[in-house]
Amino acid sequence: MLELKGLSKHFGGVRAVDGLDFAVKKGEIVGLIGPNGSGKSTTVNLICGVFPVTSGTIAFGAHDITKAPPHQCLSLGIARTFQNIRLFNELTVWQNLWVAQNSAKHRKERGFLGRWAGGRGQARRSVERYLEFSALAAKRDELAGNLSFGEQRRLELARALAAEPDLLLLDEPAAGMNSEEVGQLADRIRSLKGQGKTVVLVEHVMELVMGVTERIAVLNFGRKIAEGTPAEIQANQAVREAYLGTGAKI
Amino acid sequence: MVTFLQSLIDGVTIGSAYALLALGFTLIFGVLRRLNLAYGSSILVGAFAGAAVFAQWKAGGWAVAAATLAAAVAAGVYVERLCFWAMRKGAAIASMVSSFAVWMQLEEFLALLFPGRTLSFPPLVERSVFELGPFQFRTEYVAMLAIATLLVVALEWTMRATRFGLAVRAVTEHPEAARAMGVPVARIAFWAFVLASAIGGAAAYLMASAEEQVTLHSGMQLTFTGLIAMMIGGIGSLRGAVAGGLVLGVVETLVQAHFGATAREIAAFGLLFLLLVLRPGGLLAQDFAVREAAALRRV
Repeated sequence: MLELKGLSKHFGGVRAVDGLDFAVKKGEIVGLIGPNGSGKSTTVNLICGVFPVTSGTIAFGAHDITKAPPHQCLSLGIARTFQNIRLFNELTVWQNLWVAQNSAKHRKERGFLGRWAGGRGQARRSVERYLEFSALAAKRDELAGNLSFGEQRRLELARALAAEPDLLLLDEPAAGMNSEEVGQLADRIRSLKGQGKTVVLVEHVMELVMGVTERIAVLNFGRKIAEGTPAEIQANQAVREAYLGTGAKI
Repeated sequence: MVTFLQSLIDGVTIGSAYALLALGFTLIFGVLRRLNLAYGSSILVGAFAGAAVFAQWKAGGWAVAAATLAAAVAAGVYVERLCFWAMRKGAAIASMVSSFAVWMQLEEFLALLFPGRTLSFPPLVERSVFELGPFQFRTEYVAMLAIATLLVVALEWTMRATRFGLAVRAVTEHPEAARAMGVPVARIAFWAFVLASAIGGAAAYLMASAEEQVTLHSGMQLTFTGLIAMMIGGIGSLRGAVAGGLVLGVVETLVQAHFGATAREIAAFGLLFLLLVLRPGGLLAQDFAVREAAALRRV
């Protein structure tokens, strides 16, 4: 479904992503891990079209999205969350979900006038569904800026889902969560698989990555140093060295 | 006391037109994070078009209003394409400098086209004065206040309840996040510009019809009044723009009533200066600051 080939991004002399090959199949939940500065978030930004690619290609289904800008990626079915929360704080919870409905499918359903003014019942119902999914129904009229940190994280995920993507890129969704919240997030991510979504999870919280993913790719200095099931990754020597350093280096 | 209240009433009236100007500035600044210095001159193009239609055909109020709005929007679109859309990848300063150039260009264009420089403008309603208790009301001012209030309420509703309004606010707050959520940022910016130009055109129409004339100097006055009202209210806040416009109108009128017309000119800048010293963020900035601090506490 998603295929990165020889993907590179250089910022001046820094090779943030360096010749990355990586593929995701439909319906998979894949983890992308690595130490700080290993190029995980940059990879997400490249897939979403935030940065121009230095070299390499990105294919999504039958489309070449190497040069596609963010809104085009979204209308093809790729949505994301942000590592540092970027909700629309001045809008209510409900409005945050409402304004995020901009997929190609939504546009067709809504018609010309509906794009500008209100919308049909369909769109409203799907907002209700995501309120329910993220346990925010009671807070629907609260300003997003007034939510607690955990609630804001849940709203970020719900807002990305409101765009009805096929592929969801989650950039450190568990950052700052306590272990109970991480557990609830894990349940939500697993239930996405049942809804036919494909998920790429960029994460530092190993409890979450090892718990929900089927396959993990490990990055270090912009290169892929390992790929395999969670059990294989946990046993991998190169991965341990990347995270803990080797004796020789010290 | 009666003089004071009378000035208050007049101030709120003229302030409602200022509020419209400030709203136009704020809309554009909010969505693009760029200052449009050509705003005053582009809506002046509207006012001159209205005056020309009046001079040519002795047309009535509606035709003049329509011509004013249409020309203001056309000039606004011209400014948007040239200074903002074409410069969207450049630095914000590039847009500001080129909008300054277009300001000069549009004023020169009007000066060439209308060598007389001052045109008469039809009043919105028959000019008359009626009394209510000790207060005097000028009908053209009452009509101005009514229309301006209606427009502000309509804009408030647009920003709160329509998808377009929500998208404008989303882009204002987090352009990158809005883009990632599929909001067509460039298209929203364009339509926000059109909306701002229409609001500005309405303000220009109301002010010109109250004075029954437009002059080339009005361009500078429209720009400064709008900018000052926006800064008094707090840059980027739509409610602040309304508050800033009203406060500016009231202060100007009060100063004129007590100290004469020369002092009125100074009053606007004096008020801005005072506010920047005492409350640098503008009147409604505290809202922001409080929320920001609350957000920091949560993290």
